[in-house]
This record gives sequence, structure tokens and C-alpha cells, in this order.
Amino acid sequence: MIGVGIDAGSRAIKIALVDADTEKMIASGIVKQGINSEELALGLFDELLAGNGFTCDDVKRIVATGYARSRIGIADTTITEITCHAHGVRHLVPGVRTIIEIGGQDSKFLRLDPGGSVHDFAMNDRCAAGTGRFLEVVADRLGVGLEDLGQLSSMSTRPAMISSMCIVFAETEIIGLLSSGASPEDIVAGVQNSIATRVSTMIGRSATPPVVFTGGVAMIPGMAHALESVIGESVSISPSPQMTGALGAAMLALEQAGF
Amino acid sequence: MTESSVSPIEWFENMIDNCYDYAEAAKSRGIPIVGIMCEFAPRELIMAAGGLPVCLCGGAAKTISPAEEYLPANLCPLIKSTFGYHITGSNPFLGWADLVVAETTCDGKKKMFELMAEKRPVYVMELPQKPDDTDAFEHWVLELRKLKTELETRFDVKIADAKIRESIATMNKERALRRSLAELMKQETPPITGRQLLEFKSIISGIPADLEQYEKALQTFSHPIDEKSRTDSQSSTKPRVLLTGVPVVHGAERVVDIIESSGGMIVCMENCTGLKPILEDVDIDAEDPIRALAAKYFRLHCSVMTPNSRRFDIIRQLAREYRAECVIDLVWQACITYDIESFQIKRLAEQELDLPYMRIETDYSPSDSARIAVRVEALIETVSRRRMR
Repeated sequence: MIGVGIDAGSRAIKIALVDADTEKMIASGIVKQGINSEELALGLFDELLAGNGFTCDDVKRIVATGYARSRIGIADTTITEITCHAHGVRHLVPGVRTIIEIGGQDSKFLRLDPGGSVHDFAMNDRCAAGTGRFLEVVADRLGVGLEDLGQLSSMSTRPAMISSMCIVFAETEIIGLLSSGASPEDIVAGVQNSIATRVSTMIGRSATPPVVFTGGVAMIPGMAHALESVIGESVSISPSPQMTGALGAAMLALEQAGF
Repeated sequence: MTESSVSPIEWFENMIDNCYDYAEAAKSRGIPIVGIMCEFAPRELIMAAGGLPVCLCGGAAKTISPAEEYLPANLCPLIKSTFGYHITGSNPFLGWADLVVAETTCDGKKKMFELMAEKRPVYVMELPQKPDDTDAFEHWVLELRKLKTELETRFDVKIADAKIRESIATMNKERALRRSLAELMKQETPPITGRQLLEFKSIISGIPADLEQYEKALQTFSHPIDEKSRTDSQSSTKPRVLLTGVPVVHGAERVVDIIESSGGMIVCMENCTGLKPILEDVDIDAEDPIRALAAKYFRLHCSVMTPNSRRFDIIRQLAREYRAECVIDLVWQACITYDIESFQIKRLAEQELDLPYMRIETDYSPSDSARIAVRVEALIETVSRRRMR
């Protein structure tokens, strides 16, 4: 028997299958978010089941999370991404006390108590600065791929100051920096610092270690380092950072089903 | 609509219409309409002067952009909405007002009143802000006496002590009824939702039909609910929320709706549209009724007060009495005093009361509703998981 977690995020849909007995993630998949989340999720779901030799009868329960969670009709229930990420990361990194999650349009920070329950959390609410979308805009503007950002920022000698709190204005600011001769390396490093600074404002004075970084943006090299220098704690990247929401949802599906 | 044929819930759903009819009739009989914009306004004095106090706090998003032609965008939506009604002339109650009684409760309102005073009569009371200072209290007593003189002169009446005691009796009765209604939420399975409780108020105090409906509501809802007739909205399993912070004025109930549709049950509202102004009554037997009024109003634990330790004491007490399982602190954008005080409320909730705490800073625009809903849902999930432990 398996539990299924569907994380219908703002930029991608992620699905995780977890074995009820071993609590191990058997399979996972990802598809870019589009107009019809439900259809996209269903396609990926069917593909994952068939590809791993399962049928619908093997599925004990399905939990959907992420911003489009209520549009996933096949889910038995929905749980917020906050609870799911906490559950997923805790499963992968037992003992974690602080989670920083940066996704497509979200950045959030979660403080867990020693028992692993969510004690406190904060997330961006009216603005997408400090999220993955910001990095996409920058990569696009500089004509480089997302995967190249880390390499670029590591070559920066003087990170640029990006002060705009808004993606649209920050883009204007970047154009201004480029025309005044700033190097793409320094701009990327500056953007990463600005994202890290925004997240650290959410955290407040102290991040209790161990700090784990998850969400799609955790896969972009250089971000964890930028966070470390701003919050003053060592930051480790979660295993399968893009999947922790889906994994947590699948684990919670099994918990709800009585496993 | 006649009050005898309708249920209390239906009656208060039509609160604005009821108040419109009542104020229109009063106006045509020559009764002065007096606008108020804060719970510090001593309604009893206005009533004793033969006036009708009407709360004019704006709760509409649509009047904000006209207001922003005059006021900064980064200002509390309540102030902007209220001023927008003034500019657009779309609040009949404000249109009827013979006087607006204002207070220096916050800097935003204070400066807004200067602009409003260019077009209509506004009388500003200076509210001292040190609640434990005797001189501050004596100053407040004088402010009430000056308001009395202003009302007497403007409306050509003599406010006798007996008249003040009469209005104290009415207001004490109204406060007691609304307090009893709020206390229904102490039950394990409250008979109404927080949103329904919020409806049991009126922008005009002391309307006899309102008082009858409050009594009727108490009779209707005082019987414990039997399990069979329990509806989904009356589930005792929903996490119990204590809502604190800024007032949730008529029209601006969005966050309350979000909390209750995200699985929470607001059992206690410790704010100006909830328990704050009705927790205590005025001493009707006091030798000097003006001092008695001053004493009651000066104890309002508004965040403008410094230090505002009474708010912390009240939250301690209410969290216990209403068995709150989490605290949600609502802050209107740019409400500096509530915003800063939220740090102390968070510390109180988390460290002393061991209750999860969430601060929601927003305005009247629905653009962040989905984001707020996610956060509230996550908070409710956290509370539910704490129960499982």
C-alpha cells in the first residue's frame, strides 16, 4: 500500500509515492504548472503509478498541498504546505529545528519545537520578492539559465546592492545596474543576498540550529551560502528539496489512513 | 421591518438599514445626530444632551481610493475609508451629523480630523495616554467637562446629572446584554459563530428595538445545544481562537470570515468591536457622573495607552475564561501602536500562555485573502496537532 502526496505549487506540480510499511519514498515526479492543474496532476499521477507497477487499488490515501491544492479533485483531503514541508523535512532530517523554504512564489520560515511540531512560522504575503520567481526574472533578464546562477554568483567580487522590495521595480533596478556597468556576476550575487535578507527578516533575531533549506530555490547553487552569511548559522540543503512538500503530504496521508 | 417578527440574527443583518430608519426619524424630529469614531467617545454625554451618537468608522474598500487623493496611501484603511465617506458624501449618517466628536486616539485620525473640520463641525477631545497617571486622569475628566459644555452650547440644552444617569442606565444595560451574548462563546459548543456574534452590535447605541433583540437572542441561544440539532458551524472540535488587535468594523469582516472558513472558531474578540468596550460598566451611583464616565472610558486598553499593561492582563484573563487555543492579532496596515504592541502580545501568547500566535497585517483589499487563508489554515493545523499530543 502507498500514500500519495501531491504538491500543486505555483510553478510546478510535484507528486511523491510513499510505501506504507517502510515509510520510504518509492517514486516521485514533477511537471511544470499550467492552466489546468488537475489535469496535469492526474497525468503525472497515472504515469507514476503505471511506471512503478501500481494501480489505484494500491493507493491508501491522497493528500494535496500547495497553492492549487483545492483544485486537485483526486485528493481525499488538503493540508497546507506549511504543515507538509515541516513533516517532509522532519522525516528526511530528524531533529531539524528551523526550515527555510523558498518556492516559486513563496518564501517561508518554520520553527519546529524539539518534538518536531510546528511552533511558529512566517511567510511572505503580498509580494513575491524573495522568492524563486525573482531569480527567474533575473536569469531571464541576464539571458542565463537558472542553473547557471550559482556559478555566476560565486565569481562575484563586489555583490551589487538590490534595494527594491518589489520584483518589478527590482527588474528596473537591475537594468539600471547593467547600464551603469555592473557585472552579471555581481548582480546575481546581489539578488541572492537580497532574497536571503528578506527571509532573515521573517526569521527575526535567531534561527535555532539545525537549519535546513528546502523548496525549489534550494537547488540553485549559492542560495544556501547567501542565507548562511545573513543568518549566521550553518544551513544545510534538504535531500530532494523540491519534493519535501509532496513527501510530507504523502506521509500525512499515511498517518491519516492509520499507518 | 418590525422587530417582533424577525429573529435576532435577521434583525442585526439589517443593522445599517434599521439604524438608517431610526436616525432619519430622529433627524426629522430635530434630534441632533452626533458622529463618533472611537470607543473613547462618551456616548452617554451625547445621549444626555438629547443627541444620537452614531459610529462613523469606515469599513469599505471602495471609499479608500477617493481618500487617497488627500491622505497618504500608507495609512490605516479605517481612517482612509472613513475619510473617503466624508469626501464622497456617501455615508448618510455622516451627512446628517450636526457634530463629529473626535479624539486624539491616534495620530492618523487626529490629523485626518483637521481636514474633515474644514467641511463640517468637528470637536476634538484630547485623550491623555498614561493610564496609571492621576494627572492624566484629571485631564481626561476636564476633557469630558469641556465636551459637556460644547454640547450644551451647540445644542442649546442643559445636561443635568439626572439625564446623564439615565443614559448611563441605558448604556449599562446594552453593555450587559452584549457581554452576556459574548459569554455564550465560553460554552464547549458555542451556539453561534464568532462572525454571528460580531453582527450583534449597532452603529447607534441604545435603540430600544436593538435592546429587545439582544434579549431575544440571549433567550434563543442560552439553551445548550442538543447533539442532534448541532450544525457543522457549531462543531465543538474546531480550534478556539482569541482574536485581538484592531476593530473589525462593519464591512471589514474579511479576516473574521477567513478564520472561520479555514477551520477556526473565534470564541473571543478582545477588540473595540468585541469585548473591549463592554467589559466594564459605568458607576451609576457615583456622586459625579462625569467622573464616573471618565473613569470607565479611561480604562479602555487601547494600544495608544502607555504602558498598556491592562491589555495584557485582559488577554490573560480572557484566554483562560474562553479556553483559547491560539491567539490571532489583527493589525490594520500602518496602525503603528497595534503593530508595535504585537511584539508584546506574541511574547505573552507564546511564552506565558503557551498559545500559538499569529499576526495578520492587512487592509481592506482582498488581494491577500488567499495568502492569509493559507497561514490561518496552517495555524489551525498546528493547533489540531497540539491537541493530538
